[in-house]
Amino acid sequence: MQRKTLLISPELCIGCRGCQTACKAWNRLPATKTANKGSFENPPDLTPYVYNKIRYVEAPSEANPVRWLFISQRCMHCEDAGCMKICPAPGALFRTKEGAVAFNKDKCIGCKLCIAGCPFNIPRYDEKDKISKCHLCPDRIAGGLEPACAKTCPTGAIAFGDRSAIIAGARNAGYRKLYGEADLGGLGVLYAFKESPEFYGMNEKPAIPESIVFWHNVLKPLALIGLGGAVAGSVLHYLAIGPKRDGEGGEK
Amino acid sequence: MTTMIKKTSAFERANHWIMAVSFLVLAVTGAGFLYRLEGLNSIFGSFQNMKTVHNYAGIVFSVSLVLSLFSYLGEALRFDADDFIWLLTLGGYLSKKAKLPPQGRLNAGQKSFYLFLIIAGTAISATGYIIWLVPTLREWILISHLTHNISFVLLLMAIPIHIYLGTLANPGTFRIMVYGTVPVEWARKKHAKWVRSMEAGQ
Repeated sequence: MQRKTLLISPELCIGCRGCQTACKAWNRLPATKTANKGSFENPPDLTPYVYNKIRYVEAPSEANPVRWLFISQRCMHCEDAGCMKICPAPGALFRTKEGAVAFNKDKCIGCKLCIAGCPFNIPRYDEKDKISKCHLCPDRIAGGLEPACAKTCPTGAIAFGDRSAIIAGARNAGYRKLYGEADLGGLGVLYAFKESPEFYGMNEKPAIPESIVFWHNVLKPLALIGLGGAVAGSVLHYLAIGPKRDGEGGEK
Repeated sequence: MTTMIKKTSAFERANHWIMAVSFLVLAVTGAGFLYRLEGLNSIFGSFQNMKTVHNYAGIVFSVSLVLSLFSYLGEALRFDADDFIWLLTLGGYLSKKAKLPPQGRLNAGQKSFYLFLIIAGTAISATGYIIWLVPTLREWILISHLTHNISFVLLLMAIPIHIYLGTLANPGTFRIMVYGTVPVEWARKKHAKWVRSMEAGQ
């Protein structure tokens, strides 16, 4: 199957937050009480029961004193996913046919290392200490439907489709480069930004922490080489030089 | 009958075996996480169980490490001129003709190994507790995860050599961890200074 992608266009978003509601409805996520913090943004952050949300930013300027930004936020479904790289439990995080990073709570061991591995601060843990995050509605996609958030979006701010078609469409619409096209091997959620990513509160160059890359690429093979070397060295020593028998190599 | 001399106390031997078994459990389960060895499910049932085993074996290992300080730390920190010559001679392991300076109850190699174990063992224990107990502190976890794994690589190299040196490489040594006693003449060849001090004390 072709890799699927969401395309987020903040300027098309009217902040209705239908995507948040549709996500909760489809994924059967309970409502949680939040407090009014004086901002349009609600709930204030992703939680185990909030897979996606609209981040709200006021960006007034001389030219446009009432500029509001609505940025849809969720798991980015990275091609090179830091969470999957560091996860010690096989099958807890897995790649779906359409290229999303989905999870299996039965396999999750609650170590929370994926939090450290994620460049976007996405994974949350429910009260049973199991991972919880957007999984790109694989059950809907399997049935030929769009993810709930994209389906419900009334303005096209969340578009869904084949990744290549989404990128080609954005090119035709005049976007030379989409956020996430090349980052981390290509994100599964692309953003059509009209300004720099920082303006929208996004990291210009998201990356998996270097220590995790080093651990994965160097330490993991090195542990095996080291163990093999120590055992091989001992065997070699035994055969080539031999043990200290009585009366050999004593002290003077 | 061969005259025997007691080299290790029952406490030292018991603690050594507690540490050895907990280390092996930790190494196997740790490798299971590192390489996602699903075959280990046939032993532990699930990775969730394996995590529980790993964490609690970690407590046993770290407590055992602390207890070992009372047995070896003071001695391991005292390096004398003979010890440095012993190290420069590589313990006589690479040449049958090498003559070694007389050693105390622990030879310079054992002292060095113990100091290494304290450093690597403390690092892997402390970072293990951090990963277990405060998993949401991202910066702490990144440093701890790296340190935990670097220590693992080092221990994975050092322990097989430690086992080899304590068994096959030095016939007669393994019984120290079983019975705690060795023949005096055997000890005189390998730990002359210690035997002299014991005889002087008698």
